[in-house]
Formats: sequence, C-alpha cells, structure tokens
Amino acid sequence: MSVRRRELLLGGAALGAGALASRVPGGASAGAAEAPAAADASLAAAIPFEGPHQAGVLDQRPPRAVFVSFDSIAGSRGELAAGLRTISERARALTAGYAALFGPTGEGPTPDSGILGPRVDPDALTVTVGLGASLFDGRYGLAGRRPTGLKPMPTFPDDALVDAECHGDVLLQLCANSEETLLHALRDISRETRGVLGPRWKIEGFLPSPGRESGAGRNLLGFKDGSSNPDVTNDRTMADLVWTGREEPAWARGGTYAAVRIIRNRVEFWDRVSLSEQELMIGRDKAKGAPLGTDRELADPDFSSDPDGKRIPLDAHIRLARPRTPESEGSRILRRSYNYSRGYDEADQLDMGLVFVSFQRDLEAQFEAVQKRLEGEPLVDYIVPTGGGYFFLPPGVRGSQDWVGSALFV
Amino acid sequence: MKARLHVPAVLLAVVASAAVAGCGGGGEETSATAVAPPSKLTDRVLVSGANPRVKPADLARPIAEYKRYVAAGLGRMEGDVRRLGSAVDAGDLAAARRAWLAADASYESIGAAYGAFGDLDARINGETAGLRGGASSPDFTGLHRIELALFGRGSTADAGAFVPRLAADVRALRRQVPGLAIEPLEYVLRGHEVFEGALDLQLSGRASPWSSDALVALESNLRGTRVVIGTLRPLIDPREPLLVGRIDRSLDALARTLRGLAGPSGAMPRWDRLPAAEKTLVAGQTAAAAEELAYVPEVVDPRPLVPERPAIGEVQAE
Repeated sequence: MSVRRRELLLGGAALGAGALASRVPGGASAGAAEAPAAADASLAAAIPFEGPHQAGVLDQRPPRAVFVSFDSIAGSRGELAAGLRTISERARALTAGYAALFGPTGEGPTPDSGILGPRVDPDALTVTVGLGASLFDGRYGLAGRRPTGLKPMPTFPDDALVDAECHGDVLLQLCANSEETLLHALRDISRETRGVLGPRWKIEGFLPSPGRESGAGRNLLGFKDGSSNPDVTNDRTMADLVWTGREEPAWARGGTYAAVRIIRNRVEFWDRVSLSEQELMIGRDKAKGAPLGTDRELADPDFSSDPDGKRIPLDAHIRLARPRTPESEGSRILRRSYNYSRGYDEADQLDMGLVFVSFQRDLEAQFEAVQKRLEGEPLVDYIVPTGGGYFFLPPGVRGSQDWVGSALFV
Repeated sequence: MKARLHVPAVLLAVVASAAVAGCGGGGEETSATAVAPPSKLTDRVLVSGANPRVKPADLARPIAEYKRYVAAGLGRMEGDVRRLGSAVDAGDLAAARRAWLAADASYESIGAAYGAFGDLDARINGETAGLRGGASSPDFTGLHRIELALFGRGSTADAGAFVPRLAADVRALRRQVPGLAIEPLEYVLRGHEVFEGALDLQLSGRASPWSSDALVALESNLRGTRVVIGTLRPLIDPREPLLVGRIDRSLDALARTLRGLAGPSGAMPRWDRLPAAEKTLVAGQTAAAAEELAYVPEVVDPRPLVPERPAIGEVQAE
C-alpha cells in the first residue's frame, strides 16, 4: 500500500535516487494542473476534498453512489493509521483529477486500472470516510477516544437485519456522476489498502435522472423522497442539526454521524396496493409529491389544522417522521439516500429499495427519535430494513498533508 | 525504420516523478511523458542504470535451485502417497485423510513449476472443472478424485483404485525433474501467479471442494513462493533494493495469521468453517501479498526490451 511505498520513496532518496524524492501529495495537484480539460461540464465538476467538514454530506447528491463497509485487518495501530491516511491521499488525487499513467505494456502492475481512459476526471467524485463503533474496541488502543455519540446500530422492532450487511469498522461512501468513476476510485483505493481493510459489505445506489422532474427524486415506491430536508445552505441550521460541536472531544468536532440503513422495499407487494392506500400511508400525493390536501411538493402539510388526521392520517409516514411541532423540529435529520437494486430473492421477488442515509449531530436525539415515531407505521409491511450501520464521520482535512481521522491518532 | 524502444520502467519512473516535481514532462501522446498521478509506479525506487537488465542466462541458477526444491518436494510427496496407500489399504479413513492433506500440501508447495509438468500436472492435480461429466469423468483420477472419496464420500474403498496411479504419476514426475525445462519468463511470472492462483482457486473453495483445505494449500503456496523469491533475490536486490523486504513483511504477516489459525496439533481448520472475520483477514493479507509480489516479474523480466511496433506508414520496404 501506498504509505509503505512512500517510505520506499524516502528510502530511495537516501539511496541516491534523488529524482524520485518528490512527495506524492504534490503529485496530485501537479497532475490535476497538467490534465487536459474535461470534455463536458459534468466530468469537470470537482468537489474539493479538503475543507472544515468532509465532502459528501451537504453536497448535492450526484446520481451514483457506492457504500462499502470494511473491517480493519490491520495488525497494529500504525498500520490502521497508514491505511486511513492512504484513503485520504488517494481521495485527494481522485477528486481533483489527473492524467492517468497507463505505463508501457508488460512493465509490471498497471499503475491505473484505465477504466476511465487516459484522463481521470473529477466527475463530482466525493470520498467520505466514516468510523464504526467497533473500531474503538481494544484492538488499536482507541477505546478511550470513541466519539461521545457513537455506538453500534441497534436492532429496531421492525428490522430484519442480516449480520453480513451490518456494521463495520470503516465506511467508505463514494459518490459521483458515473458508475465508472466510482469503480475506478474503489479499485484504486482498494489496491492500496488491501492489507488494512477487508470488505464487509457493499451496496451501490442510484438516483433518478435529474431531467425527469423537479424537486426531490423518487424512491422505488414511486414517491418523492427527501422533500422536507433541512436547508444545507444555512450554516446555522447545519451547525445545529448536522455538525458535531462541544459535546464531542476536540478531535471529533466538526464531524457528523451517519445512519446508513439498507431498507428493502417489497415493491411487488407495493404495486399490488391501490394508489389511495399508498398515498394515505405516505401522506403525499404520488404524482406531485405534495402533502395530501396541498398542491405543492414543498407546501407545509399544516398538521395543526388537521388534528384528527382527516386529511393526512395520524400514522402517515411524513406525519410521524416529521410532525412539525416545536418539540420535534430538533430531531430533524439530513437525508442523503440512494435507491438500490440487486437481483432477486429466494422467492424470485425483486430485491430493491433504499440505501437510506441520514446525517445528524446526535443519533439518539435525531435519527432514533424519528425511528421511534415510525415504529409500527402502516408502511412497515412494505419495507424491510436488512442492513447498514452507524458511523462517525470525522471532520474534514486541513491542508495538503492532513488526512481524515488523523487527529484520532495524535 | 525508426527503432523506438519502450521506455524501461526505470526511466519511466524518473520521467514521471520529474513531471510531478514540476520539471515539465509536457504532453506528448506517449505514455512515458504522461503526467503521473501519485501512482504506485511513481513511488517506486528502482536503482536506475546501475544494473543491466536481467538476461535469461541469469535465471539459470535460480531455476536450478528451484528444481532441486521441486525434486525434494516430490520426494516428500511420494512418502505422503505411500502412507496414503497404506491407510487406504487398511481402511483407516482418518489416517488416509491426514496423508492426503500432507500430499496435497507437498504438491501445493511446488506450484511455480506446474507449467513445466505437462500432462502429469493434470493427472496429479486435475479438478472437475472443464471435464465432461465432472466428477464422474474417467479423466478425473488424481489427488482430487481421492479427495472426493475420502472427504466427500467418507470411503477409503472408493479411493483404492486411484492411489497406485497417483503414486506412479508422482514417481514419474520426480524422475523428470532434472530434465524439466522451466522457461525463465515463466519462472519469474510464477513469483506472483502462485498467489493469484491461491486467491482464485483456493480461497474460492473451488480447488478442494471436499476437504476445504484452502488454508493448508495457502500455507504451502506461501512456502513455495518464499523459495522462488529467495532464488531471485540476488537479481532483485540490486535493482529494487526494498522490494524483497516489503514482500517478506507481507508474507510474514500472512504466515503468522495462518499459524495462529492452526490447532494445537498443527492441523488447519477447514476453510468453509472459518468464521467470516478470519476469512476476511486471510483474504486481505493474501491479496496484499499479491500486490507486493506483482512487482517481481517486472524487476527481473528476462526479455530484451522490445522495439515498439511500427505505426502504419512507418514500415518501409526492405
């Protein structure tokens, strides 16, 4: 993996191979500067890797994502740190773009998989790193450094969790405009970290084509999903709802908690249900996405004028999830979900649904509070949470030598 | 005609890192002048120009050493198969299984030479894949047919007919070893391909579906790979001085893991019964070692630099 190669590099300088002594992180920006311009704007779109917070949280979702949860197989704390550092080093280069070095044929391992062609464009790639509660056990001496609010994802009453797709030490969330950019990034990062991170589960997500209609995208139940997300352009709201603050140890401030939930939709069953029944379960008009009794997707459902649920049933999904009472507004979450689809189950039913992702400052006060209100909602017959986990996203990186999670190892 | 050469990796690394350092490296269409990402290649330390390229003759001694190792391995395997035969004759299933695992381990430790074994490799180590009729094919006769009998069917009787044939094949192979032609290029490629084989065949469970002895095989693959690297080390070290150290570290980590999985008697657990976390560890360390080993063939590639193929219009009539 690359950190060892970097040691190699320094060793090379000592051996007199001076021409090789340049540090690699500079290589990323040099590569980016020299790379020819992308052919179209979506390929050229670059989301900075560096910043006070990690990318991939507030940014608008590009249409593709892959979530991979890893277990650390590092033999030591130093190896673990080196692996995490490698992820950031590769992320810095991959998100900026560079001209790929294909290398002459027959000359050792190819430096680049080549699946993007000679130019690696940013393509709105974000590489987001999360840490699971299990990483803070005794293995790496991190037990005392666990972020205050991090714990394993519990099993909720309506869950049917499969252990093989739950939890994990390290979460990698990759988002980009195209699937090939995601897979290029995943292969690139994996080959450098293979001896440190062993894959535990992986799921790929997609969004509907943005040109299809305005507003929030539809989930695979056919309803618009995410309409009432908090305003990501409002720093104050984000500081209140998303970014960790003084409740955390210094190293963990400016991070956030991710709840990732693989929620299968029983789409065939759902399609056999009438439109009005579906709309009453969700609380929205299916065609427009408007709360029932309103005419706009973003209209206030005004639950206070409907105390008995005559317009929107009291157990409708949107009403339980966000009652819009003063007490409940603090439990708002920032959703950033993707749809998934992956084959058939044992009964030959389509296996598809939602990779639900929410970011919040406090898992219990926000995600779990919402989850608790949703327990037993009529929709539970049609959705089956099968996996996911809780992860803490450390704050962003400051400067070209920093890496996500570095402060944890100081 | 212009006889342009492929730029050797040594120079390529220097050119690429010069570009990284901001010293130019302007944008021609050839790979040598492409701006380098912080790739593995730019991270290399190759001692530029200090040593000439490896020639096929340089590999004569490593291959001769390795052949002695192969002969010893096959000698050990003959003993394993003899014990296997006795146990099968006595109807002692447990002893037969132990002897079979030892024989499989012996054979898996000499994988870098399989390509030179010709038909005898298929007779000794053939699997059902690709055989018409699969396990019932008349051509399915070797180690894995005996594995089916002992581990799949729990029967020594079912193995009986195949053991003498295996013994004869192993004996024939051992006698051939001194005259065996292991191609220099093939030999250096095996430096990492044994591990690629382990990832593909052993850790998938395909190679030994009935005994699930992937861990036994992997430990043997590791031992054999160490021998190959050991024979090549005098050629590698002057050219890429830190490579063998990196390989050793990755192999040591895997070896420690494997020994840690072995029971008090030294016997390995079945791969298919290993907990998921331990499988992840073994697979990760095996793949990490393959990543390091993959640099071996390049460093000791015995082929001369190939003139680049001429483009259309460059070829002139003689």
